[in-house]
Amino acid sequence: MKNGAYKTIELALYYVLIFFILREWLTPIMSITGIGYVDLILLFIALCLAISLFRLPIFISWIMKISYISWFIVYVYSDLSIFSNEGIQFLLNELLYNFALMFQGEFFHITNSFQSILFFILIWMLVYLVHHWLTVRMNIFYFLVLTVVFIGILDTFTDYDGTTAIVKVVLLGLLMMVFLFVKRLMLQSGISFNWYNYLKLALPVLLMIGMVGLVGALLPKASPQWPDPVPYIKTMAGQGNGLGGPVKKIGYDEDDSQLGGSFVGDDTVVFIAHATTKQYWRVETKDVYTSKGWETSHSDELASISLGEPIHHFHSLPVGPDEKRQFAHIELRYPYDFIIQPYGLISIDARTDVENPIRLIMNLETEKISTDYAGEFLYHVEYSTPEYLYSDLTSTIQQPIDSSIQEKYLQLPESLPQRVIDLAKEIVEGKESDYDKARAIESYFRLNGFRYETEGVPVPDEGQDYVDQFLFESKIGYCDNFSTAMVVMLRAVGIPARWVKGFAGGEVIASDGDLKTYEITNNDAHSWVEAYIPKVGWVPFEPTIGFTTNRNIHYDFETDAYQDDMLTVDEDTEPDKLKDEQNEEMKQRNVEFTSFKNWLNHIGPILNIAFIGIVMASILLFIFRKRWMPKLYSRWLKHQTINEATFEIIYLRLLKVLELNGLQRKEGQTLQSFAKEVDEIFSSTHMSQITEAYENYIYGNKQQIDYGKVKECWENLINRTSS
Amino acid sequence: MHPKIEMIIKNIEKVMIGKREVAELSIVALLASGHVLLEDVPGVGKTMMVRALAKSVSADFKRIQFTPDLLPSDVIGVSIYNPKSLQFEFRPGPIVGNIILADEINRTSPKTQSALLESMEESSVSIDGEMFELPKPFFVMATQNPIEYEGTFPLPEAQLDRFLMKIHMGYPTALEEIEILRRAEKSAPIQNLEPVITIDELLAIQDEVKNVYVDDSVKGYIVQLARATREEPNVYLGVSPRGTLALMRACQAYAKIHNRDFVKPDDVQYLAPFVFSHRIILKPEARYEGLTVDEILNNIITKSVIPIKRFVEK
Repeated sequence: MKNGAYKTIELALYYVLIFFILREWLTPIMSITGIGYVDLILLFIALCLAISLFRLPIFISWIMKISYISWFIVYVYSDLSIFSNEGIQFLLNELLYNFALMFQGEFFHITNSFQSILFFILIWMLVYLVHHWLTVRMNIFYFLVLTVVFIGILDTFTDYDGTTAIVKVVLLGLLMMVFLFVKRLMLQSGISFNWYNYLKLALPVLLMIGMVGLVGALLPKASPQWPDPVPYIKTMAGQGNGLGGPVKKIGYDEDDSQLGGSFVGDDTVVFIAHATTKQYWRVETKDVYTSKGWETSHSDELASISLGEPIHHFHSLPVGPDEKRQFAHIELRYPYDFIIQPYGLISIDARTDVENPIRLIMNLETEKISTDYAGEFLYHVEYSTPEYLYSDLTSTIQQPIDSSIQEKYLQLPESLPQRVIDLAKEIVEGKESDYDKARAIESYFRLNGFRYETEGVPVPDEGQDYVDQFLFESKIGYCDNFSTAMVVMLRAVGIPARWVKGFAGGEVIASDGDLKTYEITNNDAHSWVEAYIPKVGWVPFEPTIGFTTNRNIHYDFETDAYQDDMLTVDEDTEPDKLKDEQNEEMKQRNVEFTSFKNWLNHIGPILNIAFIGIVMASILLFIFRKRWMPKLYSRWLKHQTINEATFEIIYLRLLKVLELNGLQRKEGQTLQSFAKEVDEIFSSTHMSQITEAYENYIYGNKQQIDYGKVKECWENLINRTSS
Repeated sequence: MHPKIEMIIKNIEKVMIGKREVAELSIVALLASGHVLLEDVPGVGKTMMVRALAKSVSADFKRIQFTPDLLPSDVIGVSIYNPKSLQFEFRPGPIVGNIILADEINRTSPKTQSALLESMEESSVSIDGEMFELPKPFFVMATQNPIEYEGTFPLPEAQLDRFLMKIHMGYPTALEEIEILRRAEKSAPIQNLEPVITIDELLAIQDEVKNVYVDDSVKGYIVQLARATREEPNVYLGVSPRGTLALMRACQAYAKIHNRDFVKPDDVQYLAPFVFSHRIILKPEARYEGLTVDEILNNIITKSVIPIKRFVEK
């Protein structure tokens, strides 16, 4: 009886797991095919599982299932009650009608209700199969693999997102397999069930699964390593329309009048920068969007710049505080005829020969600084990264914007589709400051299913807008797509914006204290956005997925502007005092929060390294456990006291130590014969002596045992095992 | 080794070559107040063994040669009318002795067999409603020839159960056999054997055997083995509780011989085949497969779980 109850509980556990796995099957089917009543169908699965769990007689099981299906059909497809004549009539009519259709071979005309019946029967069969796998085969592996493949396919080819489903299924399935494996083991070895044995077998594996899950959750996830197969398969199937247009090679290209198309990577080093921080390197800006690409409005305001002279007053960009001035050294490896500029550029200097000084010319429009020397050369730039006050950024006080800026940086082509403007307005709805609006647009792409791709990016067709195509059709692209789209949307909501070209930070190849050496390759050629925020000026934004901004924002919480911003809700109804308290608290909390965040950021790498270290050490310790465990155990045991009360424990531990050292007693082997074996190996008589004492102790029920001698033997044996 | 027992064995070894183990087991049975069934082909020294043992103990030795026409009264004895005293007088048969050799026990009719076996069990004989206690010690060594089946009456299993152990003599090794020949050149050495222990001393040791301590854990081990024979799928009839008891008694005696006052699982393991093998009947299909009782017992013993902790009642 006890055994039977236990078996039922065990099976119930499996069924609960199976239920959750089956649910992962159903959910995507439901969402794709648009079948409703998920709960009722899940209930049917639960019913089937419960019936097979309690082994109800087959006719009861059939009656219950058929009744449920009938009830479902009548309930869902008619307003009638199953208990009324009309309801039964309806059901019969449906069945007859559809059977007739089936015999006539007109499968397309089969009604929804009949499809539901077939679906239920399918579930019925599936549950029966699962039951068979569980109780007869005791192996759920194929079912699990099928489930994972199924979800994988759905995830790849449909809108269904199987990220969590796969994780759930794999974890549940592993649990399931552990239970079944332990069960099989017990059956094979003929061990009757007991909790101790069961836990001894199952617990380590459960722990391991837990660990895998935890480590999996903690580890950073790489972006997909394989290109998405869908476009390829679609192209192969002849469905491609405009995808995968011309393929370009990445790199800094002056002509941006025709954007779009795929490109291939190129890791040629273009320059090397020695600087203290990773930063974006600016080359030029563009202002005219042509609906296909970018051009510059022709105005040749040029300024000649001398080496070493401050030039920031020519720049439209803000410069950071004087005390944070620093230098960066740039080694050009590619004969560019322009200067690579950090944000907050102050001056440029280079060692050149006096007779033939290099002349620098800056285009005040694009802010590109050209040289008349094209070749590999080394220069250093002095700069101070601009800092933005949060309060200034989010200030909602209207300030008149210079009309020249308005005119130039709010330009949009007339052909721009209205839906782009509508989308932009929708995104910024409810945002007060221009900065918040810009932030909203910046983060829009990350949250709305856009993907970073370098292949399969389309070129706009004749009459098609580049941004419109990206926002509403392809939704895949690289920096040009994201940055252009952001500039256009910013302009659409009235924020002046421009398109910036340059290079991303590159990779650290060497570091000497604070000073690091960055290697920038053609792959780092990049484009991003600058928006004109009143009171502050031009602020860089980074909409491209996978890149981060280098905005240097100073969060000044004390300012009123911030508080106002935080407390726009219910301002009138709150008493003033409470408001003040809340302000205080909020300030406090924010400060705490940021300091905690800073601290986390600060110790983040250390934590990661420590975590990896601990994991590695654990693995090593586990692999070499046979080497260190007996020694440690022996050392620990050596100083145990031996007396009447502890002798049994001591002797059993001795057996354990010997076992750890590879001397294992078989269950049917007597202690004496085992002791002889051990003594033969150690060529001593200690084991026999201690065993004799122990035999006297347990089989002879003797009280007088020479524990001094026992102790001597014990120490000797332990020394043997630990040396 | 118990000094007295050592002396007996030494004495027996003077005439029996290479049969120390058989001698020791016989003494185990003697001390456990049990009886021994010696099973082997003729001429390997079964009779010599028993005689040497009897001589060493200075006990009253009787020999009964079983034949098909032997009657129970030929074993137990008869009451004869004495015209002088006008009374029936009991004339004891050969069974009234200390050490009895029942030679070729399977040659006689079941009636006579059961007369012997009953008196073995009861340690007494009853004639005409009168009970006669048999002398102490009373020790029967029965021999049986496994080769001949013609005209034999194999002992039923219930009767076999009465024997504490079944021992095979086995052939001597080549060297041992040479030694046998060498000794036979001189004279029949059995005549020269002197008793080394008195009956009273033997009885005293027999009493002490009952005091040998058997821990509950070891009892559990004995029971575990017995139960395993009952659960073994190839076995038709397993060991009875009488067999379990026999094994414990034998172990006590064995421990005593080895001068120990408690029983170890080693004793159990060693004695189990001798005590159990004649109490187990295999299924016919197991026999056809060539399985033997010894193999199965061996298997059970290696698979058994030796108690290595103090017994705790659950």
